[in-house]
Amino acid sequence: MKISYNWLKDYCKHDLSVEALAEKLTNAGLVVDTINPVDDDFCLEVEVTSNRPDCLGFIGIAREVAAIVRSELIIPGVDYETTTENVNDLTGVTIEDNELCQRYTARIIKDVKIAPSPEWLQKRISSIGLRPVNNIVDITNYVLMESGQPLHAFDFDKLSGKKIIVRMAKKGETMEAIDGSKCTLTDDMLVIADAQRPVAVAGIMGGRDTEVSDTTKNILLESAFFDPRNVRRTSRKLGLISDSSYRFERRVDPECIDWASRRAAKMILDIAGGHVVEGVIDRNYLEYKKVSVALRMSRLDSLLGLHIDKKTAKDILERLQFKIKPEGETEDNLTVEVPSFRGDVYREVDLIEEVARIHGYDKIQAESNIGVKLTQDNIFDKVTEKTKSVISGLGFDEVITDSIVGELHERHGAIWSEMSSLKIINPIRQDENLLRKALVHNLLRVKKHNQNYGVEKTNIYELSKIYLPQEDDGMPEEKECLCILGEEGFLSLKGVIGTILSQLNIVQELETMRYDFDLFNPGKSAALKLGGKLLGYVGELSREVINDYDFRTKPCVAELDYNILIDNTNLESSYRKIPSLPMVTRDMAVVSDEAVTWADIKGCIESLNINYVDGIEFFDVYRGKQVENGKKSIAFRLIFRADDRTLKSEEVDKLQEEILENLSNAFGIKLRA
Amino acid sequence: MQERLSEIQNQAKEDLAKAESLEEVEKIKTRYLGRKGGIISDVIKAIPGLPPEQRSLTGKSANKLKQEISKWIEEAKVKFVNKERTSEPKEIFDLSLPGKCMHYGRRHPITQTIDEIKGIFRKLCFDIEYGPEVEHEYYNFDALNIPADHPSREDFDTFYLGNKRLLRSQTSTVQIRVMEKKKPPIRMIAPGKVFRPDTVDARHASMFHQIEGLMVDEGVSFSDLKYVLTLFAQSYFGQDIKMRFRPSFFPFTEPSAEIDISCSICKGKGCSVCSHSGWVEVLGAGMVDPNVFETVGYDAEKYTGFAFGLGVERLTMLKYGIDNIRLFFENDLRFLSQF
Repeated sequence: MKISYNWLKDYCKHDLSVEALAEKLTNAGLVVDTINPVDDDFCLEVEVTSNRPDCLGFIGIAREVAAIVRSELIIPGVDYETTTENVNDLTGVTIEDNELCQRYTARIIKDVKIAPSPEWLQKRISSIGLRPVNNIVDITNYVLMESGQPLHAFDFDKLSGKKIIVRMAKKGETMEAIDGSKCTLTDDMLVIADAQRPVAVAGIMGGRDTEVSDTTKNILLESAFFDPRNVRRTSRKLGLISDSSYRFERRVDPECIDWASRRAAKMILDIAGGHVVEGVIDRNYLEYKKVSVALRMSRLDSLLGLHIDKKTAKDILERLQFKIKPEGETEDNLTVEVPSFRGDVYREVDLIEEVARIHGYDKIQAESNIGVKLTQDNIFDKVTEKTKSVISGLGFDEVITDSIVGELHERHGAIWSEMSSLKIINPIRQDENLLRKALVHNLLRVKKHNQNYGVEKTNIYELSKIYLPQEDDGMPEEKECLCILGEEGFLSLKGVIGTILSQLNIVQELETMRYDFDLFNPGKSAALKLGGKLLGYVGELSREVINDYDFRTKPCVAELDYNILIDNTNLESSYRKIPSLPMVTRDMAVVSDEAVTWADIKGCIESLNINYVDGIEFFDVYRGKQVENGKKSIAFRLIFRADDRTLKSEEVDKLQEEILENLSNAFGIKLRA
Repeated sequence: MQERLSEIQNQAKEDLAKAESLEEVEKIKTRYLGRKGGIISDVIKAIPGLPPEQRSLTGKSANKLKQEISKWIEEAKVKFVNKERTSEPKEIFDLSLPGKCMHYGRRHPITQTIDEIKGIFRKLCFDIEYGPEVEHEYYNFDALNIPADHPSREDFDTFYLGNKRLLRSQTSTVQIRVMEKKKPPIRMIAPGKVFRPDTVDARHASMFHQIEGLMVDEGVSFSDLKYVLTLFAQSYFGQDIKMRFRPSFFPFTEPSAEIDISCSICKGKGCSVCSHSGWVEVLGAGMVDPNVFETVGYDAEKYTGFAFGLGVERLTMLKYGIDNIRLFFENDLRFLSQF
């Protein structure tokens, strides 16, 4: 809400400079965003929170200032003389829905002279950014800004049937609004109509047909209370927001409706001449009851952690126009009647806030005796801390990418779920309206971005959620995933995973199963299992993907179900005695068919259950000269150790022979010549 | 025997004087002091065969000589080492060459900020909690005292997914989930992603991170709130910052406050970061609204508490002087490698 520094002084005398005023308002909860000089005045932009519609008018803000500086609030007079003719003889008001229109008042002012407003009035409304139109429109705007109560002036002679009907719009009815927009109405919208057609969308905007123009003589002045929710819905639906709708949505003061109408009538009389017709049509269905709230001073002290004496509290509340009921006052208690414009105050805690904010939050000391408390272990944090340390140590940078993606982002196929992604109903961009079902695609985009800036190798990872839709349209499964993109080849990336597993003390064997994905090169694409459960996928990007992104390297990617890692993590480790007896090692190279895997060889040796085999370490695979075509040579080391004695060379020779024999029988493996 | 020893002594002295290189000195060392077949060793080995009265003296003298020769050898070595150093250089190892750096991966700056803030609150005995990012409308709004069709919902623009599901627009949802499950006392913070359909610009992103905090117990007051948040702000921004608590409005707290700190960029003098006010807003907070307690079944008369929320990106931007929020999610390594 924009306010003028000079204009505000009409309602509250004070000696504050504009900066000091801004600071005081800010410290009382009305943040002043900007101060702009306008001629000999200043325009202050005040942020009014949605609970304080009473501050959407000068008088409301002046009331705050009066409480802060302990000054008097000055309310302008609204007395004027009327003609003897009665309003009820000239027009009629019918309310068809008294829930959506809980009060409607109409006054008639005859024989006004439409002209530009006097200079002082033009200057005032200009100072807060409004455009002067003519004296009548300017006065209704002036009173709206002064009181916070929206008003509307109809050209009375243009109202068909000279009457007002407040009713629901008929489906398909149209109206051209004052700002030129064409409104097509639906039957859940409330309108002000004459005998024939809608002449205003209730609480939002008047119609062009009946607006005040140069030829207007007689005026019907509307001041009303419309249901906040209905105004809000209609305003959203029509995409029409006005100073009026903004205030009706937030609930106007039920006791200000008639005052504002009389204030405007008086100003019209003073400025535009004419006669106010005797009386007012007032259809009032508002069931407004005064609210009284008890305030315990002891509760105030304990909630704030500050002692405020009763006298101070009373003074603050009374200056804010709360009424202290003498009959409800005891040593600890105040009974407080809440003014009609403070719908936000209905509980003790609301009164405590009123006292605290005017008294000043700065008076509350930052003190405490909250003491210590044992915090709970959080396994997710513990595992994550460790995992991220390991990956960082291995040289990978962490990235965080957007959970919201477009259809194109996941064009290289799904990983975790084939169901269609969850869709955002109101996205910012229509091509980014889905919740991701995998992290990998985002990492590819990060690599692409960095490649564009000259970075060849991008070793990165992300630990974030993906959102897997469920059959019943219920809450998605939010899967925490760890996605790693590495540039050093398949085995390096598999090694990174292996390092993470070992650092998390995961004892279960990591199983690799061949698995086909569009995303990956068919020869180097695997599903990973841990303890029989799917851990995730690892692979080298397929040609198509590399071409599509125009990558100059051959990145490998792994995407893992992080919860499987957490479930298998063993945070407690224990000490294993360092062997005191020496080990005996044997390095071997064997020749096998292509189809035989390392897992076969290792599994075969392990299945022999030889006590003294303490380790099997892979060296390398070799194909080429010295190895028969179609075969490969696999080199590895066997480690033998006994706990109770030093193994003799001859013993180890025998074991090695046994192993070779078994490998030969199982897979036709021969020692390399 | 003593004679034999002095002979050895003289011979050793002579040999060392003749030696012309380090290798020769090493040879002499082996000849005299070698464990197997060294002259001194032989002498010592021969001691048991001597008449008893000579053994002790010979042993002492032999050991003394051994030490003496060792010393001469070391001296001779030093001489040659020094000589070799001053002799004509073949190649010089350039000590000023850069060390071979291994790439050490970094955590994302947002993770680093969250970790730092978690660390501060852990010291204050706060638990760390998490909640879902796709939420039911109830947790994002209704339970937080934000009724449907209420203007206060306007402060929380939200992405909707249909069927009463949405992307949470605030981490306050976790407050409710925790209170539904646990009884007071509660001290917790909840970091996480939130989503808002804001127009994306230098200060707004549709996805960002928040940290929600909550403390509930008997007798928790606004003074406690100020205490905890002052400790936090001083740990994070420095002891010498100034703070300002001003009244504000959040549907789930009453009284509510927004907390400003003196602008770290201009030290309160006024700059573009603080819109020339000298203050920047860093936290929203307040005493938990009794309606919220009622929703989760807490006795609002018995228990009081405070809640607060902060924007992780905003704090990170303030701390490092980053001027564009989009940098966080572009993941340009030239940006990420600076933290």
